[in-house]
Amino acid sequence: MIEHFAEGALMAFSLDTILMIIVGLFSGMLVGALPGFTTLMAMAILLPLSFFLDPLVGIPFLLGVYKGGIFGGSIPAILVSMPGTGAAVATSIDGYKLTQKGESRKALDMALYASVIGDTFSDVFTILMIFPIALLVMQFGPPELFAVLLMSLVIIVVTSGSNPLKGLVMMLFGLWLAQIGTDPMGGVERFTFGIFDLKSGIPLLPMLMGVFALPEIVYAVMRNEKVGGFAKLVGARLSMAEFKRCIPTIRRSTFIGTAIGIVPGLGQVVAAMMGYSAAKNASSHPETFGQGEVEGVAAAEAANNAVNGPTLVPLLTLGIPGDNVTAILLGAFVAQGLRPGPQLFEEQGAIVFAILVAMVLANLMFIVIGYLSIPFFARIVTIKTGLLVPIVIMFAFAGAYVFRSDTTDILMLVGFGLFGLLARAAKFDVMPMVMGFILGGPLEYAFGQTVAMAGNSPISFMFTERLGMLAVLIATPLIGYALWRRMKTATN
Amino acid sequence: MFLKTFKKTVGTALVATLGLGTAAYAEYPEKPITLVIPLGAGGSHDLNARVITSIIPTYLNQAMIVRLSPGAGGQKGTQEVANAAADGYTLLFSHNYIDMLQQHVENLPYDPNADFVPVARVNYAPIAVVVRGDSEYNTFEDLINAAKADPGGINMAHSGNWGALFVPAAQIMKATEASFNLVPFQGGGPAMQALLSGDAEVTMGFPSTLSALLDAGKVKILATAGEERIYDDVPSFAELNIGGDVGFMHRVVLAPAGTPDDVLEKLAEAFTALQEDKTYKNMMGRLGENTDYISGGEYQAMREGQNAAYKDLVDSITK
Repeated sequence: MIEHFAEGALMAFSLDTILMIIVGLFSGMLVGALPGFTTLMAMAILLPLSFFLDPLVGIPFLLGVYKGGIFGGSIPAILVSMPGTGAAVATSIDGYKLTQKGESRKALDMALYASVIGDTFSDVFTILMIFPIALLVMQFGPPELFAVLLMSLVIIVVTSGSNPLKGLVMMLFGLWLAQIGTDPMGGVERFTFGIFDLKSGIPLLPMLMGVFALPEIVYAVMRNEKVGGFAKLVGARLSMAEFKRCIPTIRRSTFIGTAIGIVPGLGQVVAAMMGYSAAKNASSHPETFGQGEVEGVAAAEAANNAVNGPTLVPLLTLGIPGDNVTAILLGAFVAQGLRPGPQLFEEQGAIVFAILVAMVLANLMFIVIGYLSIPFFARIVTIKTGLLVPIVIMFAFAGAYVFRSDTTDILMLVGFGLFGLLARAAKFDVMPMVMGFILGGPLEYAFGQTVAMAGNSPISFMFTERLGMLAVLIATPLIGYALWRRMKTATN
Repeated sequence: MFLKTFKKTVGTALVATLGLGTAAYAEYPEKPITLVIPLGAGGSHDLNARVITSIIPTYLNQAMIVRLSPGAGGQKGTQEVANAAADGYTLLFSHNYIDMLQQHVENLPYDPNADFVPVARVNYAPIAVVVRGDSEYNTFEDLINAAKADPGGINMAHSGNWGALFVPAAQIMKATEASFNLVPFQGGGPAMQALLSGDAEVTMGFPSTLSALLDAGKVKILATAGEERIYDDVPSFAELNIGGDVGFMHRVVLAPAGTPDDVLEKLAEAFTALQEDKTYKNMMGRLGENTDYISGGEYQAMREGQNAAYKDLVDSITK
């Protein structure tokens, strides 16, 4: 294994590999920054291209697109409060507030460093611990997933704001919205009123654009300033002192993100929110979170990127893709004659380690690319209001449409935009609603699976076979209560 | 004489020019063709379509563009093509379960039998019945006998109701009168993971995705779809008396009904030529897919058979 590693590391340091990683990172960042286009689409389109490249060029190229895309998504989230994916929602909470304070450059810098650190540590951890992780992954099935999702929702509510009751109302509303459409287990239509367009449920992207971006655009117009409806300044770069202050947060979030990456089916959204909630809860000044706290950006970004390493484990050790991104990577592996699976490390250890080393290399190169391009991105917000607002509106509408090429989504966007304005006027935070909506589907699905698995003996299933689920379910109210107490004393 | 020749030459030239001109104007395809996939990004249809659309322009002299339109279990994209103009510029890339089964379990906003004509069956994937390497079931009979002894006691992981793993499972249950507890997972990958982690005792998978696990002894294959054996020591469904078009996922290109015959012909020519293309075969091989092509007309007969078989199946389950 050691000699495979050394050989692989040498293979990764070739000019072609490094050049194509850079191309991948750059194109991924651009695609990720465009609302409505997803990293997944970019990867699917670029996959056939990788067939014709050397394995050590093609696969690192796709990994570059993937990594670039995740960071790219946080750019509009920070600059114009337009998170294109659920994973960027937590980043936009404090990121956009920093932009409004004229510190967009600092927010982007922090997002970059936190994502790269989170990603690198989780990659290195994955390389070193790949076989123990593979065993651990097997311990989590739908019952455990259900319990952890439920716990995540409780944590989000109790740490959401000064009034957890309002958070709860919004989350329940989000959970209800997630019910609309065809029931994933039985195929029964719910709350669709016979409208075909509602049958596939409410799409996430128009909701995100609607509740987060549209109200900000309206407020930017209402401020009626000639220059900088979103922000006047780009501010200074992140200082060393500020970075040092965030190190414990980045460390915590990296740990949380890596752990969440091990549980199949949880993913980046949960990681980002848990990282954010934990940082807020551990802080001696939780009231600054949500008001432009650079630590909040660090917490969210480190956590959602730290998910990446462990999610590759089932793919590499069993050949099983857990989601569509890893399915595309599987396609790329197979096309190159590599067969991910139990024997991959014996048959082609050197190449696999070369790919893993290339992942770490990609992270390091991304620091340079990101550092150089951030000043350009950061200045977007200082464009004249009269020019910027129409551009942002266009991107919001185009993004909502292009995602599924469906005009209904534009109506959804406007509807959620109005709802976002109302909620803001009534001082209801939309974030718990969005989280309830995103996690509601998986929660219900995991519950349905658990019930199906338990069959005719739910009691013995819960108390003898699935003690992990039981433990999490018992711990949930205790953790929820403890966090609530802490938040209460800290804010008072 | 000279005049006559001159007249003839000019006449021929004129006819030729005009004729060519008209042909060039009217000949399909004169603009890019959209291939709608009613499924999400990154799935096997998406990847197959990326290969097809990167090669077929050679034979159509026009680009073919993939448009993903997932939602409502495939109905959203299917409806879009059903409503599109029948001019050959909007095609559907679907599979037999969306195409022929859904009409029996849901109210569809289109009629798959009347609204579509098949252009080509591009390839197919046969299903295999899979258990863990250390499973107590060594043959298909072992599994069926155990399921009969304990109806609903054996968990069978599948990739979603009425999907590519669920339907063959239901057809096996119908043919053998055994009963499994069908547990849904979000895709074939998570279903396989459930098998390996012990959350399920049996699942289904496509041989192209199984080879690494099989060689490592992590899984055993008990049966594979079709008449012929795929593995020398594993019986086919036909040998086990599970006959008919069971356990095949057919990837099929459909056009809206009413598409002109010359357009369909042109498409058929392109898809036939595609099957002979070396790069195409090579790339499909790399994805682990076959290039077993069936013409639209021939597939129509299979569709009608599927329609009847699925109707029977749904009636027997939901009754």
